[in-house]
Amino acid sequence: MTETNAVEIQEVVKQFGNVVAVNHVSLQIRDGEFFSLLGPSGCGKTTTLRMIAGFEMPTSGAIYIYGERQGYRPASKRPVNTVFQNYALFPHMTVAENIAFGMEMQKVDKNEIQRRVAEALEMVQLGQMANRKPKQLSGGQQQRIALARALVNRPKVLLLDEPLGALDLKLRKAMQIELKTLQEEVGITFIYVTHDQEEALTMSDRIAVMNNGVVHQVGDPESIYEHPADQFVADFIGETNFIPVTVVSVGPEKVVELGTGEKVTVGWIEEGVKMGDKAVLSIRPEKMDLLEPHQVPRTPASGVAYVKSKVRHLVYVGTDTRHTVILGDGSEVVVRLQNIYIGDEPWEIGEEAILTWNAAHARVLKE
Amino acid sequence: MERLRRNPQLQAWLILAIPVAFILIFFMAPLLIVFIYSFLERGKYGGVEWAFTLENIRRVFDPLYFKTFLRSAYIAIVTTLITLALGYPLAYFIAKSPPKRRGMLMFALMIPFWTNFLIRTYAWVMLLRTHTGLINVTLTNWGVIDKPLPLYGNDFAIILGLVYGWLPVMVLPIYAALERLDESLLEAARDLYASSSKAFWRVTWPLSLPGVAAGAMLVFIPSLGAFVTPAILGGGKSLMIGNIISNQFLGAHDWPFGSALSMVMMVAMLVATLFYFKWTKKTEATT
Repeated sequence: MTETNAVEIQEVVKQFGNVVAVNHVSLQIRDGEFFSLLGPSGCGKTTTLRMIAGFEMPTSGAIYIYGERQGYRPASKRPVNTVFQNYALFPHMTVAENIAFGMEMQKVDKNEIQRRVAEALEMVQLGQMANRKPKQLSGGQQQRIALARALVNRPKVLLLDEPLGALDLKLRKAMQIELKTLQEEVGITFIYVTHDQEEALTMSDRIAVMNNGVVHQVGDPESIYEHPADQFVADFIGETNFIPVTVVSVGPEKVVELGTGEKVTVGWIEEGVKMGDKAVLSIRPEKMDLLEPHQVPRTPASGVAYVKSKVRHLVYVGTDTRHTVILGDGSEVVVRLQNIYIGDEPWEIGEEAILTWNAAHARVLKE
Repeated sequence: MERLRRNPQLQAWLILAIPVAFILIFFMAPLLIVFIYSFLERGKYGGVEWAFTLENIRRVFDPLYFKTFLRSAYIAIVTTLITLALGYPLAYFIAKSPPKRRGMLMFALMIPFWTNFLIRTYAWVMLLRTHTGLINVTLTNWGVIDKPLPLYGNDFAIILGLVYGWLPVMVLPIYAALERLDESLLEAARDLYASSSKAFWRVTWPLSLPGVAAGAMLVFIPSLGAFVTPAILGGGKSLMIGNIISNQFLGAHDWPFGSALSMVMMVAMLVATLFYFKWTKKTEATT
């Protein structure tokens, strides 16, 4: 284990009765990183966070925080603080008392507490709210107080459990940027649990995508989006097309055959997929284009796919139009084309079109 | 009829009229009678003479009676504190039980109410009586004690009987408050370095205070006015204000004085209730 890791999780399993909530999860979270645990509800992301906080103890495996093994150490003795999903502000205390609580428990000097409370309120721009009760604040303000209450203790790691879930969309977007900026300013490692993939992509340095208690992929937002490791990740993050294919060759040139008999080259084939296997070709709707049949070059460029299709329907969504096309074998593919309209005739339903993409964007994944 | 059907306000008034009339006639009227009686003179053969006097009120503060008043307050306060000390952990335990078991435990707590209070109190006599009571007989037979313990006919017996009778009433509102308590608040306290005892005193306890206050009221008021328990377990020696009042009506035939005692006791309870509201208002503004 390396000293630079803020949190290291080794082969952690958590069982509740017969239910395995977290199944052999290993993660290395780096110092100063904004790390997200992303997945659908019940995927084990919150349980993982709660084990780091010390609210749950792993059934097996080990958790290290800055090199120190946590074992059965209670939450009150860990160098981390949590921002709860419902904020969990103490309703009987004022905002200032809430923020002072952690320092009081650590027996920090009274003057020091006062100074740091004022500082923390300043940081979240709620200085004038010090003597209010949490109930008298809006959701966004409560959210910030929860953040201040945790950060004022200068934790080594800040744990955030879907902290923006209860806010409306506009406020959530604003808070995302605020949180990210704040994290960069304070330089504390953030571990952020969310089920909102857009939120994770916007804020994170790295993301762990989880499902059914297992980590599917760890990577920065771009690699998670552009190079999904498996079908779950490709499906969960963003929008994608899954086209059924049969693998013809796994290398050096990677070729698959569509249901129509057309062969195309692809950029990547998931490990374990062999020649002759049935698999799915995953490609994002914005990575494709439609050509008039006469636009296809006589000698097609290598690494570019051309597939015959017919336009089935169009949905105008402002910045672009979603074109659903149908291939020769009946499979549907969605193509998003930006609404630039320079010299282009818009496509019409029923028109023949050549669907084209760069092989680098096509990934073949296990079924 | 037609007008009634078209006027929902009139309908609401008609529905309300019955309970309001019931309260006015059967709750307020007796109170009013007691209030008026307490300023009247005693009739020679029971009943009242219609002549205004403050003598009854003055007599209430006569040391002879006022001492009993204070003693009753003392017994009621001790009873309240003991039921709180026993009831709080009980309520806490039930509130922390798995949801399925909670209902069963609360149900078990209420079972004693199925039997008449008088009968249960007499059963305590069987247990506590000085020479023939089950506890003293057993302990003497086992050689634990030489002479019987003073378990009966004193304040101890009264307080024991009152605690026994009112314990469930203390548990109920505290349980309700604790059951509502958001578990994540305790996690937050732990997360902010509080030991489990600090988390309890700084979070659980203050947030359960409205329940504690309600339970304390529900125990204190009937304990202050108790007359069955002191009459039976006090063995005729240890009396509370409730016994003196009932005596004025049933034995001494001094209705005006009995009324005056009741009025003063009611005022005392009213003061306690006002304190309660002030306190809960203070704690509730915070929750």
